[in-house]
Amino acid sequence: MTVPIVWYLVLSAALFSIGVCGFLIKRNIITIFMSIELMLNAVNLAFVTFANHWHQVSGQIFVFFVMVVAAAEAAVGLAIIISLFRSRNTLNVDQIDLMKL
Amino acid sequence: MSTVNYAQLWQLALPQVIVVAAALIALAVDLLLLRMRPTHTRFTVAALLGSLGCVLAIVRLVLAPAQVNVLDGTLLANPLTHLVQVALLVLAIATLLMATNSRFTEHIGEFVLLILVATVGSMFLASSQDLLVIFISLELLSLSLYILTAFDKHRPHSSEAALKYFLFGGMSAAFLLFGFSLLYGLSNSTSLPRIADAIHASGATGSPLNPLLLIAIVTTVIGFGFKVAAFPFHFWAPDVYQGAPAPSAGFIASASKVASFFIFFQIMAVGFAGAEGSAAWMRFTTGWVPVLAVVAALSMVLGNLVAIVQRSVRRLLAYSAIAHAGYMLLAIASHTQQSLGALLYYVITYALATLGAFGVVAIVEHRTGGDRLSDFDGLSRRAPVLSGCMFIFLLSLAGIPPLAGFFGKFYLFVSVLGSGPGLLWLVVLAIAMSAVSLYYYLQVLKRIYVANPSEEVANASADATTIGTPILSQAVVVLLAAGVVLFGCAPHLLLHWIDAAIRTTGF
Repeated sequence: MTVPIVWYLVLSAALFSIGVCGFLIKRNIITIFMSIELMLNAVNLAFVTFANHWHQVSGQIFVFFVMVVAAAEAAVGLAIIISLFRSRNTLNVDQIDLMKL
Repeated sequence: MSTVNYAQLWQLALPQVIVVAAALIALAVDLLLLRMRPTHTRFTVAALLGSLGCVLAIVRLVLAPAQVNVLDGTLLANPLTHLVQVALLVLAIATLLMATNSRFTEHIGEFVLLILVATVGSMFLASSQDLLVIFISLELLSLSLYILTAFDKHRPHSSEAALKYFLFGGMSAAFLLFGFSLLYGLSNSTSLPRIADAIHASGATGSPLNPLLLIAIVTTVIGFGFKVAAFPFHFWAPDVYQGAPAPSAGFIASASKVASFFIFFQIMAVGFAGAEGSAAWMRFTTGWVPVLAVVAALSMVLGNLVAIVQRSVRRLLAYSAIAHAGYMLLAIASHTQQSLGALLYYVITYALATLGAFGVVAIVEHRTGGDRLSDFDGLSRRAPVLSGCMFIFLLSLAGIPPLAGFFGKFYLFVSVLGSGPGLLWLVVLAIAMSAVSLYYYLQVLKRIYVANPSEEVANASADATTIGTPILSQAVVVLLAAGVVLFGCAPHLLLHWIDAAIRTTGF
């Protein structure tokens, strides 16, 4: 018995929504950053599902590129977080408020 | 399965290869030969090397016209992409040369490298119609810009701005990807024309749009709305414009905007063809046009109204950028051949003016240490040339004839109305909001020309002038101002080029 494609898509959408909620609710920068990674992985799941559905490899290739970009993003993001922590000594977004919106 | 001709690929990507090579040479020369030299010398050498690479790439683009489409739009080369790439390279050169006088960092080779890598990202972005390449080049551009924003490690504002830019940017990239994954699922292809074919095929029966397609439209608009700083995805813009080092902020405000608007137009008009819908007053039908119309209207209103209360010139420019993004989204919403021409004219002249304005802000900050409105008090008596340039830039942004900004707005509104009377309400709103924008631009000019400088500022600037005025940056600012006046007095110079490119490319 094969799992229908809808289930995968619902799982992917659910993971994505959890990521969005985490991004909006959490106050720790690292957790927010992890929420973004969760959103990217939800997208990866959708790509793999569609690639499987169409019996075509280009969706899976897309996933590899997304993973590479996510790794690059992590490198840049953590560097920025370190430079921020050095000057402010905090990882709470509520205290990062030198410039008001 | 089509095969790839690597020799041809190499030739098509040669301009980008040249820029990358120039970036690496600039980095190597700076790190190996010039470590012990003064900052100014290092910056001048690195910027000149980088500019040389950009000039070579421009020469290559101009001398080797092409009309090629590799692998279903994975890499395009046609007069239109060449035009956008030349504009991007010119903006990169101006940014590099204006940066030569700044002293915010010791890592000069890296800074020049990142500006050039961001340029390469934006060049690839302009020359593809494939979701995968669009995503990768967009990330190459964005990641370079995050680092450029965080470059001033002595100011906590810089890394704070970078963090906000990075977090919002990461989230919007995820939204964009989510939309892309749905498009891939709907059409079994990552190529924009194929996606449009799939949308046409499914809509042939006259059925309403697929809900997955609607989600894809909304998430794609969120992703690019962030990139072009449209309301309500603009939160990063004021902070980044304020916190980033001036050359980075200028680059983010100009070159990144040009590439993003061009590819935004391509994705909506080519990829989502067949799912337009309508945004006519009181007769909305589902599709991407009404989504863009709402975003455009909100951007224009909010950007202009919030700009009025700003006390920092950089934040003022940021909110004005949000308002301008609203005007430019109108052109995307009307998506005709003529409005693509108007959009390109508008975004290129806007980029020249805003980059020049950031150049002036950088020099003033250099002398007075801040970008508050009061730091500009009586600038005309201390720096008449700079004040004259700022006068031109701001009036062009406000849309006063005979400057380029006026003709940009004029062509934009005419082309939007030319696509039908449906978007008239947006054009009326845009014209009303342009009138509002005149108030805050004139507020800055009043400070420059009428107000008396405070004691403290006057003394500080007297000291600064003994150090020496930045000749190169000032020359670039004057050239940009000359460009704004030239394209305003003789808009056909640029418009003919754009029109010819669009006609031969046959968008």
